[in-house]
Amino acid sequence: MAEAETKSVDNASIKMIEKATSDGVNTAFDRAETRKPCPIGVDGSCCSNCGMGPCRVPPPKGKEETPEEKQRRRGICGATAETIAARNFIRMVAGGAAAHSDHGRGVAEIFLAVAKGEAPGYEIKDEQKLLQLALDWGVEIGDRSNQEIAIDIGEIALAEFGKQEGEVLFLRRAPLKRQELWRREGAAPRGIDREVVEIMHRTHIGVDQDYRNLLRQGVRCAIADGWGGSMIATELQDILFGTPAPVLGRVNLGVLSRDEVNLIIHGHDPLLSEMIVVAAQDPEMVALAKSKGASGINIAGMCCTANEILMRHGIPLAGNFLQQELALVTGAVETMVVDIQCIMQSLPDIAQCYHTKIITTSPKAKIPGAIHIQFDEHNAMESAKAIVKAAIENFPNRGNNINIPKQQTDLIAGFSHETINYLLGGLFRASYRPLNDNIINGRIRGVAGVVGCNNPRVRHDDIHTTMIRELIKNDVLVIQTGCSAMAAAKAGLMTPEAASKYAGEGLASVCQAVGIPPVLHLGSCVDNSRILIAATAMVKDGGLGDDISELPVAGAAPEWMSEKAISIGQYFVGSGVFTVFGVNWPTLGNEEVTKFLFQDFEAIYGGMWAFEPDPIKAAHLMIGHIDKKRKALGIDKARERILYDMAMRRELEAA
Amino acid sequence: MEYEIEEKSAPGRSKVEVLGATYEKGKPKGEELGKWRQKLRDREEKLKYLQTGERYWYGQDWYGSEKRRNPA
Ligand code: SF4
Ligand code: SF4
Repeated sequence: MAEAETKSVDNASIKMIEKATSDGVNTAFDRAETRKPCPIGVDGSCCSNCGMGPCRVPPPKGKEETPEEKQRRRGICGATAETIAARNFIRMVAGGAAAHSDHGRGVAEIFLAVAKGEAPGYEIKDEQKLLQLALDWGVEIGDRSNQEIAIDIGEIALAEFGKQEGEVLFLRRAPLKRQELWRREGAAPRGIDREVVEIMHRTHIGVDQDYRNLLRQGVRCAIADGWGGSMIATELQDILFGTPAPVLGRVNLGVLSRDEVNLIIHGHDPLLSEMIVVAAQDPEMVALAKSKGASGINIAGMCCTANEILMRHGIPLAGNFLQQELALVTGAVETMVVDIQCIMQSLPDIAQCYHTKIITTSPKAKIPGAIHIQFDEHNAMESAKAIVKAAIENFPNRGNNINIPKQQTDLIAGFSHETINYLLGGLFRASYRPLNDNIINGRIRGVAGVVGCNNPRVRHDDIHTTMIRELIKNDVLVIQTGCSAMAAAKAGLMTPEAASKYAGEGLASVCQAVGIPPVLHLGSCVDNSRILIAATAMVKDGGLGDDISELPVAGAAPEWMSEKAISIGQYFVGSGVFTVFGVNWPTLGNEEVTKFLFQDFEAIYGGMWAFEPDPIKAAHLMIGHIDKKRKALGIDKARERILYDMAMRRELEAA
Repeated sequence: MEYEIEEKSAPGRSKVEVLGATYEKGKPKGEELGKWRQKLRDREEKLKYLQTGERYWYGQDWYGSEKRRNPA
């Protein structure tokens, strides 16, 4: 196997890794080779929370520890290895929850400005979602205008972040049993910011030093993300830009164009990307591009912002997290415009080897070496046009060292909860009934949410796609978000045809009847909140127990790397879902903490964590959990019968 | 979202109105698949859809598996 092939399964990426090497460009793939993870930090056994440290407290290698030795294995402040591991872990939760939620706050601020008529260029596109939120939050509808309703909703949404008492409002959407559990276990977040701040306080030197108590706060904070900040982001974005519905798209570096101006939008916030999409269609801009010798303007997305514009406009996806540097290596990108999150600081350096301009847009995320054009949402179109113009003007600077891989794959995206509900039942009786029925009768064994990032510590996209293939082969319907969704899309798993090619017979039959792929794209990272709602709809439709923890479902982030992924995993677990992570696990250095997360959590929250880097083994952990839940529901026999029937039918057809 | 009403003559009675098919004919494909929200024309229809389609949360007489007496 050529060296680049050990780093990625995606042919376009392999080609660009090779080109990067021959161009002398250093990428994350190279850095992962030379910079090995610190063995103490990777296990969560190092604390640097105060100036007496950093303190390293790894367990002794290759020998049993006496109780006295364990007693002494502490930081200078006396913090035990358990406290240190738990503190580190929930600080990751806080980081992830803060990222998602601060994104949600940004959306809420603009939403309110739109409602007040202070943000020209944006509008309320989805009245139905607006009404839905009004019903959720008790906002009067009557004969009031959308603007009036939206002002109330924007104010309530913004207040959710700074609320001090009570409960995050979207908790009321969860199954009743789950709400009761959260209240009983002290896991119902009071306000979004409050839970993040409380983690920072409790993990400061000399505060909370009971690892169980720390980890419980991690759950409360994560729920404030999933059922709070992220859900607010998703819902308000739907109102402003439309609730996603199925669209046909294309994915991979092959979507870059040889003769057009290539502008890649990278990051997370659709407030920016939506405007750039509109600005790029402006006849004046197209004419300018032509005057510079280009045949047009080609917009493509990267990371989660890509998922946002794909779901709503069918704009092609250039790639996932580990392809951001490789896109520049094509030599064909005029501009990469970035906003927030998952943006590598190496981009401006790599851009220097080509002609690409890196443009930062958020006051919260600047990078030395990049051009900063502040994106002013109150004057959004002007800012967007300035960015598009900068890209066009860079087109004549394109060099000769261009190689655009030909790989691109079709996919169908846009499966919001609302659309799944509609597709399954139609306009007159939208429903999850057909899904539940097919789970009960065993054609569909269960549902798995496979989400999260790329990580150069493992072979790019390989772990995602191997796991997903194994799941659908075993009749598990897969729902996805984030960079994981792009990995599956590149492998051709997100087209209806994939059902007959890769899915088990039961799952394939249902996909063919409904006309959906066996792997559904639900959106960006904040859209993991859509998965929570879909799971709740399954519960509420009936027949599969009365809590998310009773459903035959499981979650995974097999190539995770970001703190956001940890927060997502934690709110899935806290909502009752068994969740498996790959790559490495940040508390492995501590047995007690790991046991609490992997075992004891199940008795408290009905969901628990697991760690398994092998994708096939991880898929079977998920399937095993799904089967355990089927058995508890008493529907395990139905599946045996349906498999038997299908085998009989095959025999009869063959005869 | 239009309900089909048919007029039929019933034996021994004057004409009666009968509710016709309440499903969408055909199977949406391609572009059509994505354009379902636009079928709801006004606020009244949208609210009605929320009560039926999203009845798990907004239905007034249906609480699904949870059989609650008081809506949350
Ligand atoms: S908080 Fe305690 S364990 Fe952490 S660095 Fe300071 S002294 Fe060391
Ligand atoms: S999935 Fe991970 S890498 Fe990808 S955009 Fe989200 S947080 Fe970033």
